[in-house]
Amino acid sequence: MLLAFGNFTADPSVNLQLLIGGLALGAIYAVVALGFVLVYKSTDVLNLAHGEFLMLGAYFALTFLISENLNFFLGVFVLLLVMLVFGLVVHYGIMRRMVGQGFFAIVLITLGIATIIRALLLIFYGPTERARLDLLPQGSFEVGGATVRHVDLVIFGVVALCVLLFFLFFKYTRLGLHMRAVADDIEAAAAMGIDPDKVYAMTWAAAMVMAGVGGLLFGHVTGAIDRSIEAIGLRAFPAAVVGGLTSLGGSIVGGLVVGVIEQFANGHLGTKWREPVAFSVMFVVLLVRPTGLWGRKDLERV
Amino acid sequence: MTATENPAAQQADQTYRPSTLQRFLPFVVAAVVPFILGATTDDLNFWWKAAITIAILALVARLAWKWTPRGELTHREDMRLWRTPSDRSWAALTMFGLLVLPFILASDFTPPMDFPWATWFAVVNLVLIFAMGAAAFNLLVGYSGQISLAHVAFLALGSIVGGIVGVQWSGGNMWLALPAAALAGAVVGAISGLPALRLKHLYLLLATFGFHFVMMLVWREYLQEYFGFVGIRFKGVNSPRIASWLHWLPGIDPDENGEFIITGQFRWYWVLMPITVLSILFMVNVIRTREGRAFAAVRDRDVSASLLGINVARSKLMAFALSSAVVAMSGVLASFYIGSRGEDSFNVQTVLNYAIIIVVGGFSSIQGAIFGSAFFWFLPEWFKWAREELWFVRDIEFLSDYPSEIDLAIKGFLVVIILMFKPDGLAGMWRDFKNWLSRSLARRNP
Amino acid sequence: MSGGGLDLRIQDLTVVYGGVTALDNVNITVPSGGFVSVLGANGAGKTTLVRSITSLLYLHKGRVRRGSIVLGGESILGKKSPDIVSAGVAQVPEGRKLFPNLTVKENLLCGAASRSDVSGIDESLEQTLELFSQLRPLLSQTAGLLSGGEQQMVAVGRALMSQPTLLICDELSLGLAPKIVHRLFELLTEINETRGTSILVIEQNASLALQHANDAYVLELGRVLMEGSATELKGNPMVQELYLGGGGEAHTSYAAIERPSRSRPLEHGQRPPVTES
Repeated sequence: MLLAFGNFTADPSVNLQLLIGGLALGAIYAVVALGFVLVYKSTDVLNLAHGEFLMLGAYFALTFLISENLNFFLGVFVLLLVMLVFGLVVHYGIMRRMVGQGFFAIVLITLGIATIIRALLLIFYGPTERARLDLLPQGSFEVGGATVRHVDLVIFGVVALCVLLFFLFFKYTRLGLHMRAVADDIEAAAAMGIDPDKVYAMTWAAAMVMAGVGGLLFGHVTGAIDRSIEAIGLRAFPAAVVGGLTSLGGSIVGGLVVGVIEQFANGHLGTKWREPVAFSVMFVVLLVRPTGLWGRKDLERV
Repeated sequence: MTATENPAAQQADQTYRPSTLQRFLPFVVAAVVPFILGATTDDLNFWWKAAITIAILALVARLAWKWTPRGELTHREDMRLWRTPSDRSWAALTMFGLLVLPFILASDFTPPMDFPWATWFAVVNLVLIFAMGAAAFNLLVGYSGQISLAHVAFLALGSIVGGIVGVQWSGGNMWLALPAAALAGAVVGAISGLPALRLKHLYLLLATFGFHFVMMLVWREYLQEYFGFVGIRFKGVNSPRIASWLHWLPGIDPDENGEFIITGQFRWYWVLMPITVLSILFMVNVIRTREGRAFAAVRDRDVSASLLGINVARSKLMAFALSSAVVAMSGVLASFYIGSRGEDSFNVQTVLNYAIIIVVGGFSSIQGAIFGSAFFWFLPEWFKWAREELWFVRDIEFLSDYPSEIDLAIKGFLVVIILMFKPDGLAGMWRDFKNWLSRSLARRNP
Repeated sequence: MSGGGLDLRIQDLTVVYGGVTALDNVNITVPSGGFVSVLGANGAGKTTLVRSITSLLYLHKGRVRRGSIVLGGESILGKKSPDIVSAGVAQVPEGRKLFPNLTVKENLLCGAASRSDVSGIDESLEQTLELFSQLRPLLSQTAGLLSGGEQQMVAVGRALMSQPTLLICDELSLGLAPKIVHRLFELLTEINETRGTSILVIEQNASLALQHANDAYVLELGRVLMEGSATELKGNPMVQELYLGGGGEAHTSYAAIERPSRSRPLEHGQRPPVTES
């Protein structure tokens, strides 16, 4: 009835193409997963609104870079600035009051935020879909019979750069150190004179900036910009979990692994298998090694 | 407060022992009589029906009052479904409301300013279905603390079982599909709960979410295999009906084909209301018994619970099985009531909707599920009415341009605001109101 | 160095968690440059006292209902914890509470979070390492992997990194070998004498605390049961009976000692604790 495993192909170029597509998809997942990881790592919040944040980023990119027709770098700067402010609003307006609340209440409040963003975007941008962004290099080249798009390479580079920047930030700056301290033990951090409130605000701002970057990048590879792109948030979950929800580097590896697996499932089994396979991989990882491949180990298990 | 501490109450407890029949008979009567009345006499004046119902309920209330033991709360009383006279009066009032409501909605009474009466009947029926599912969700997530996003997966399971048993096998026998769905829900629910033995919180949430996607795949495959893209039709020939051997019942008059099809809001109400009320009572009952206390103990601290001799694994799986069984049943009811289920009937937004319901209604309270789903379905109606009728809202074009989006935004804001300022939701506000009421009453008559 | 400690005055402090009263009209004074210990069993309200001083009650849904906390003439009640640390209060939290995934050096640097003078921080780090010379080879170790004694040293060192004028140690002795505890208390006395830092020690280990402190308070069920100089309390038969493992003659039975209880009628027209259903 379901299983159509028969069409495995031996053609190496097809598999190469799937691999390349998977890596490109994985790079996008890594961007999104990085947003999850940032928030989860220092505030212990599972942000189910990250997909919506990303959608916000994509729509703002549309506004600043296409409609307003700003210079590319100025536009990106404005976009990230707006996202940063928005992150501060999310923290000081909402999340600040939720510190110390139950885990599920906080998950639900992020769902509430997701609902608000989705509704407001629909109201202000309307339900019509927009053409995807075309500001990054659009060409492509061939490798061994498979096509590599320039834009995928750009995405890849940007993700690697972001991870590197965050890594350096966490390792070598005072604020980064304080963020890690708060992630380890909020009470002890507060007792040492670190203001958790400020650290959380910075975290949300950073996650929102990442969502801005993600929206800008994803806006270049998605079919069209419309309300369906928030689904990328959910689809990137397996990537974040496989990489380990507390590891920055893990989000890249997790993203690439899940991206490639999904792309192969897509190519060999059919589109409908994409999500179930990805989530099954996540399921297995959760059962075998809940911290993911690189995650912190001090989590609570039964 | 135990019985041993209070000899007087103990004595009262021994002298007075209402039998189970005694305790439930009035409610059975109260449920059956208006049903007979309502269904037999479609042309009988509404006010007559209301008057008769009120008379019967007054009698019921009188009997309930008479059978109320006085004195302090004994353990036996503590374990009752409705513990205090106040609880009992609220229960009686609710019952009364539920019995009278369909007659009011079915009458051609029109409230001033075109208050949307007519559409309310459909909304009430939806509320009934959703309240059942949301209460089961709350039992699992709020009361047992097993965080799950696989809720919609079990609605889909209900539709699958409804499709296989109710449509493919029996051509519209909902009565067969309901227990089948409960059984399937319990089994699959327990299986989906297996990760809970190993995972908690975030990781359990993610695992159940994975289960959601697997179930969605099964649902799509099932649809495409047997029904194609149009989806399953639960209407027409597949409509549920009352079996012919029950046609002697008063109030059931078969149509020209000798069938009694459950169609129209009024008939559906009398199917949905008892099922919802019974299943919610069942869940409340589970909560107040040993099993339910074990759920709460496992939620609060499972290690300590296991030291108390609670079988934690069994308790967790039981919570999953119970909740999923009820959710699957509500899935069957929803399928037959709505009439068709297609590929996009279930999605992530549906999960969100249930989350909105339990947050707005009040976390970890069965009552909250009812309030929440009522709110969820009535809000768009009120909003629509306000847009069309209220003079100060009518002229704001913006509102009528984006009705459903604004509706969604309001719900989102409500979720955020309630979680921030009033985490107990509507159920908490209702409790506060009742406390305030009884306090002020007590102040007046000390 | 930090010239002399500031004095801390806690007056009429009443703290509640929801409906439960954890501290009830507590008066405690730490004089400038003093070494004060607060004794008490589990649930006496010791940790609540620390949380009230360092303004961390909000993390546990507690709040101050009444009273004042004044540090060096300035009220610190209601200030945010970073401001309190800047004002000169540092603490060694109960159970050490190191940042387990950070290295020892990073842990120590976190202690200086309230300071912005880079060279001063380096200097303090050097001083701390002189005080705890065992930590020097462990600087790049992950703190969670250290032994209990080493962790406690890091915790004390971390608190000293902010150059406090008042150092609060909550249950320093918990889960440590007696030898290490003795060493830590000697270090505290040294800090107290050489730097003039006021020290407030919250302890279960009464004999040790009374040996090193100047003044002491006995806290029980949220109230101050006794107060006086350390030598005075050491000689008190009730303290000997309850906290120093017998030796006194006044009481032979634990139950015979009159102690406060939570069900005692409340005084000063106080509102009864609100019980939540």
